[in-house]
Amino acid sequence: MRTLLNFLVKHQAWFLFIFYVVISLGLLFNNSPYQRHVYLTSASRVTGSVYRMSNSVTGYFNLRAINDDLQRQNAELSSELLALRDRVDALSLRLYADSITEVEPARKYDFILAKVINNSISHPHNYITIDKGALDGIHPEMGVIDQNGVIGVVEIVNDRFARIISLLNPDFRLSCKVKGNEVIGSMVWDGKDSRTALVEELPKHTVFAPGDTIVTSGYSAMFPPDIPVATIIERATTNDDNFYTLRVRLLTEFAQLSTVRVIINSDLDELREIEAGKKE
Amino acid sequence: MGKTIISYILLFVVLVAAQAVVFNHICLFGMAVPLVFIFFILRLPVGIGINTLLTLSFLLGLTVDIFSDTPGMNALDCTILAALRNPILRLYMPREDDLANTIPSMKTLSPSVFLKYVVTATTLYCILYFILESFTFFALRQLVLRIVASTLLTFIFIVCIDSLTSLKSEKRL
Repeated sequence: MRTLLNFLVKHQAWFLFIFYVVISLGLLFNNSPYQRHVYLTSASRVTGSVYRMSNSVTGYFNLRAINDDLQRQNAELSSELLALRDRVDALSLRLYADSITEVEPARKYDFILAKVINNSISHPHNYITIDKGALDGIHPEMGVIDQNGVIGVVEIVNDRFARIISLLNPDFRLSCKVKGNEVIGSMVWDGKDSRTALVEELPKHTVFAPGDTIVTSGYSAMFPPDIPVATIIERATTNDDNFYTLRVRLLTEFAQLSTVRVIINSDLDELREIEAGKKE
Repeated sequence: MGKTIISYILLFVVLVAAQAVVFNHICLFGMAVPLVFIFFILRLPVGIGINTLLTLSFLLGLTVDIFSDTPGMNALDCTILAALRNPILRLYMPREDDLANTIPSMKTLSPSVFLKYVVTATTLYCILYFILESFTFFALRQLVLRIVASTLLTFIFIVCIDSLTSLKSEKRL
């Protein structure tokens, strides 16, 4: 017994070293995102507060570029609104003579605005922290977009902060399609450049040309259909002959995110119930 | 003694905050990332107990991990660096006994010894860090470039910070 104690005391540094290494390895390889505790992430109360403080300074950077994006989107939306209004007028005129009464469709999607307070693009697994949390109505698995395109999905939620899996993270695959086609592919980041990504598993009969827009498919319930995500650069070479893989340029500038929109889908609970029922 | 401990706590907080708020967002040419916080491990006194050294380094790594959403990566690398710190120092500095209470810096060690010490530790840390990172995407050329570029950038920053902190401690003492 004494020799054992002596041994332990003599080599205590080694045991301490091994202890710390084992803890680190445990954290490193415990990779399932939903088991990680919120206290060990950038969305915890302390880290979130530090990032919010620094954001009160850095939040003013890039405002000119962001303003240009917003103006451009505003112009696009205004022209779309005018076109839709004309269409509604024409249709309601036709409906006026009809006996069928018009049914107002329920609004399905709503947005929560949030500020990005931390963001990385240099790691292989990138995450974004925002300054809204459970108290503001944010739940895990909500989609997040900004004025240019898709950002990611809410992963972990604290009372006041939330962490988002960025599109620049191989753990996140986005269901998408080439605009105008109905065939679905899957977008994933390949870790090379924060401005490009890959669209995989596109069937061979897909028609596309470089410069075409990639939009969300709307099949994932996190994102509404037809949100622009990227534009096609070229066909990437792969070993898989049965599907096309495309290299695409992301529309979102991940290096300069400021305000993002978290999407609330009011049908999400019902959809989940139905899908859960299907499995049983 | 109390003064030293307070100055180390201050250094810890400042380095972690600087890493989280500023240095984590620097990514020169898409590959060079400054990992400046390891300056804290390099700066701990030569004669510090190995248990304290390991514990402080592990805590440093863990704190940086929490801020940068890289669970376990920096904690592991910092622990390994802490274990190898004294051997590295001994490599360049044969008379360790005389310097038991010295705080390693450009002034206290000779510049050549200090620079060699920093280069070795930084290279080691960057190699460990980027090899762990490349478990996700492996590309040899990119890996080597990232290690070299990040080592250089980290080294430059650490030498800068060393000259800054030396100035401060001169005034205080």
